[in-house]
Amino acid sequence: MLALSDDLTVFGSAIVRGEAVSPLVDTVYPHYSVATAIDIYRNNYCGNLHDALASAYPVIYQLVGDDFFRFLARQFIAQYPSCSANLHHFGAELADFLTTFEPAQKLVYLADVAALEWACHRAYFADDAVMLDINKLAQIPPEQYSDLIMRIHPASQVVRSRYPINAIWHAHQSGENGDFHIELDSGTNIVLVSRIADVVQVNELEEDCAAWLHEIQAGRAMGVATDLTLERFPDFDLHAALLNLVRQNILIDFNPGVIT
Amino acid sequence: MDKQKLLSVAIGGLLALGLASNASAADKKMDKEQCFGIAKAGKNDCSSNKSAHSCAGQATKNNDAQDFVAVPKGTCDKIAGGTLKVM
Repeated sequence: MLALSDDLTVFGSAIVRGEAVSPLVDTVYPHYSVATAIDIYRNNYCGNLHDALASAYPVIYQLVGDDFFRFLARQFIAQYPSCSANLHHFGAELADFLTTFEPAQKLVYLADVAALEWACHRAYFADDAVMLDINKLAQIPPEQYSDLIMRIHPASQVVRSRYPINAIWHAHQSGENGDFHIELDSGTNIVLVSRIADVVQVNELEEDCAAWLHEIQAGRAMGVATDLTLERFPDFDLHAALLNLVRQNILIDFNPGVIT
Repeated sequence: MDKQKLLSVAIGGLLALGLASNASAADKKMDKEQCFGIAKAGKNDCSSNKSAHSCAGQATKNNDAQDFVAVPKGTCDKIAGGTLKVM
């Protein structure tokens, strides 16, 4: 006799891997066979995952078109079955998948665009956080600025690429007319993903600002982070960087740090 | 400029400006955001079968067959140099 867990394993193999249904499944339907019933279930399983993937990767979907996306989704679903009961977690590995997906190798930028889209997807579902309280900051005496340790919004992410993924992403947003022409060799991109209220923001980030943010993310105090950045980028403009990062809701809070 | 002064100027500038521009930017985007919110939320259920999956009609093994290799036919044509590189 099969235990329930064995039954589920057999059923799971039939759905996820398309394996033949065990003859031990003896349910009877009036109008179709068990095999047909399993096919229907499997088809819906793949359909849901396809839709979840298309919703997380709308730019990839537009870049490659409907047929090719369906084709790559089928292969991806077979290779990376959904592991969470929450469909919003499905699709995290698409960028990895695309780097080795032979039929898409000529679209060299595709994996990086996928990485950017996943960052946006995660940003959308990241925890809420209140914006920087400017009045609270005003109460800090200037001699303590150097010790401040800034907190970053949980939606914040930085994505780097050799390709102009920022322009590619923006050209595919609703509101754009779809009439664009992008030169692939137009340069390296550092892209900052953030969220203001419930709207995900995608903006290019200067190299020096990215370096400073990296130090801040590592938990370094303002003074140290600024010193380290200035060593590498003597022209770094802290004033502009702060303004930019607060406007994009990246810096949301601070603590006074260790006062020596 | 010494570091202390640099930090004072930078944070002082932030304080002077306030966050008024920030709040208005968030408000402006709210209309669009609501549509996105609903669309995203709707994906996490089992009813979103609109992509060629009317259950009974198309439920055959043929949907799984990989007897052709599709070619990208989307907006990738508009990215110059995007398909020229030999990997």
